[in-house]
Amino acid sequence: MDIFTVAMWIGTIIFLLISLKKDKTKTVKALKMAFGMGKGMLGSILSIIFLIGLILTILPPEYIAEFVGNQSLVIATVGSAAFGTITLIPAFIAFPLVGTLVDAGVSVVPSVAFLTTLTMVGVVTFPLEKREFGLKFTATRNGLSFLFAIIIAMVMGVIV
Amino acid sequence: MKILKKAKDNTFLIVVVAAYILMFILKPDMGVTSIKNSAYYIKEMLMIMPVIFVLTALLDTWIAKEKITKYLGKESKVKGIILSFVLGSISAGPIYAAFPMCVMLHKKGASVRNLVIILSSWAVIKVPMLLNEAKFLGIKFMAIRWVLTVIAIVVFSWITSKIVKDEDIVQKEEKASGLTLNRESCMGCTLCTKNYPEIFGMQGKKAYIKSFDSEIDKERLNQTILACPVSAIRYNE
Repeated sequence: MDIFTVAMWIGTIIFLLISLKKDKTKTVKALKMAFGMGKGMLGSILSIIFLIGLILTILPPEYIAEFVGNQSLVIATVGSAAFGTITLIPAFIAFPLVGTLVDAGVSVVPSVAFLTTLTMVGVVTFPLEKREFGLKFTATRNGLSFLFAIIIAMVMGVIV
Repeated sequence: MKILKKAKDNTFLIVVVAAYILMFILKPDMGVTSIKNSAYYIKEMLMIMPVIFVLTALLDTWIAKEKITKYLGKESKVKGIILSFVLGSISAGPIYAAFPMCVMLHKKGASVRNLVIILSSWAVIKVPMLLNEAKFLGIKFMAIRWVLTVIAIVVFSWITSKIVKDEDIVQKEEKASGLTLNRESCMGCTLCTKNYPEIFGMQGKKAYIKSFDSEIDKERLNQTILACPVSAIRYNE
């Protein structure tokens, strides 16, 4: 657990205790609400998680790295951005992977595109996001994030 | 019918389960690897989601709508933008952990723009993640990418707020108050919005239940329910 997760737990527990002291019925109602929220999202979250597991098996991150390393710049950039959108990869895998890519001489541009879309754009989380916020919001946010990931990558290619 | 509806609500889950069954039949070893790969994410979820749900519910209970509207609403301007960045950056967990929190904030008056900022910074700008990035790719690389990402989020959150309006965001049925509206049978006659405009509004060509804080006037609600030509509104106490 990183320090932010720990801080969130501690903060929430303190909040909960204060809330209990102030108004017990309200707190119980809030906990029921939390439980309901969890129940409502559990199915979708589990689907997302097992789908990521499946994708990582069919398309291991090492394959993606290999693919990106062997392509022309444009294809590599769009390709790695697209790969990035499909899965959510934890930072502790993604950063070393991109680090080796850059060390091996792969251009910064596809590496950055990959890093950004990896976390910000989600095909696997799309159904859940759509259910929570509606299609228009989800499509706009993900579409723009993808576009700007490529722009960020290109600007970085110029600067770095 | 009930089973059909359940299946429709869980299409995604069914597809994933089917994919796993197929995989176990064709390549059992890959199926096992997939489940192993999922284990990390399960752990991540269990570490963060319970606390997110409780925190969201507590904030929902104790923080007044006016406060959220003031600090994160349309009029919050630059302060709202900065606050949204801070909120997203200091939170923990994957992007889906931000969903329940953002739904609650929107219900209480946070603007679409600030919603996008919270979601995006929640996903990309994480302090532990930045440290990791600096370790593997260098501080300069990390710093430049961070600055560019913040600029990008500021720009595209503004674009999103021009495209997506508040009404486009799904209004959840108010389960707590027992008031529901069946949007599939609604034919858009607007009678309910005329009878009880504090609760009902129009979204596209169909009615929806607004988020409301006031007590329900049962007499008036009852009349509204009776007036609906397709009996799409229900209320259980």
